[in-house]
Amino acid sequence: MSKGHTHDHNGDDHGHEHPAAPMVEEITDYEILEIAVRELAIERGLFTAEDHRSFTEWAESLGPINGSRLVAKAWTDPAFKARVLADGVKACKEIGLDWTEPTGFGTPSDYTNFVVLEDTPKLHHVIVCTLCSCYPRPILGMSPEWYRTTNYRRRLVRWPREVLAEFGLILPPEVEVRIEDSNQKCRFMVLPIRPDGTKNWTEEQLAAIVTRDCMIGVALPRPGRTADVHPIHKARRPVESSHHGRAAE
Amino acid sequence: MSGTSDVDTSPITLLEAVRNQGKEWDVIAPRYGVTNPDPPWKTSLIGMNECLAVGGSLPALDRRRAEDELGKVVYSDVPAPERELLALVHTMLRRGLVTEAELAGRMRTVRSRLEAI
Repeated sequence: MSKGHTHDHNGDDHGHEHPAAPMVEEITDYEILEIAVRELAIERGLFTAEDHRSFTEWAESLGPINGSRLVAKAWTDPAFKARVLADGVKACKEIGLDWTEPTGFGTPSDYTNFVVLEDTPKLHHVIVCTLCSCYPRPILGMSPEWYRTTNYRRRLVRWPREVLAEFGLILPPEVEVRIEDSNQKCRFMVLPIRPDGTKNWTEEQLAAIVTRDCMIGVALPRPGRTADVHPIHKARRPVESSHHGRAAE
Repeated sequence: MSGTSDVDTSPITLLEAVRNQGKEWDVIAPRYGVTNPDPPWKTSLIGMNECLAVGGSLPALDRRRAEDELGKVVYSDVPAPERELLALVHTMLRRGLVTEAELAGRMRTVRSRLEAI
């Protein structure tokens, strides 16, 4: 495909012209490797192409929006909140999320239990997986890369306040910080405190400020903050280095 | 630095050749003005991980342990999506789920198929 084509396929202009989005116009060996090993695995009978398509479609459908909706609804409906805290998996069905998808029993690395942790003025929760990278994917989507690093996994349980401060979240000493360690059988998500300045907001407005990081517990929702942006400020006095490798993650 | 792990961290020639080309997504995507943070094969890789776990040939916990170990010892300078792919294939090769020779052959076949006019 050439760059900047105008969507005029086979000379049949179907009524709109716009430049195509840019795309990488080379085939890397990473792409080739992924296809090749998958084909061999299918030929060996390790799984089927249909299974693979189904799991891939499921993975592409995920994102944190369901978690945001769940929190917003819990903030505005005390009875729903009680059901969320009592049985997270069951309550998720009320917002159209079924934890048993895509197989009828979840995925090997996601199911079987889901617990929502309610923050209070005296208690703040943060989730982690010290063992590997367990994460409530059906409701929050794929985990951010930093969540998977040993840096986060190891240090959060030892120095929680310090690690949270690195995300810009500094909690007063009177607030207890509780780290919940996920595992293959049980996933967690944080129900943060509804912030001031949101009275009379609709569920949709509330959901917009409940970002992924708020439900992990490394940020707090607040009016006007609708994206998990981790700004990188240029150092005022950068250290000179002769190291040319990649920056450590 | 293999510690007490049973993960075989010795480099694999075929995978070293792939990683040494410097074609990671964070390098090539900006070259073409592409802003999608993930390569197009990322979700397919996730699907493959789940399929291997469902079928029992590579349990999720084994895969993640190997990914951690290989990420520290062999692929520490490779960014995340490519590191996950290399670690998965490395683990599959070491477990004998596929062989290096057949994988190299299939890569040639796939490339010629994708580049066919």
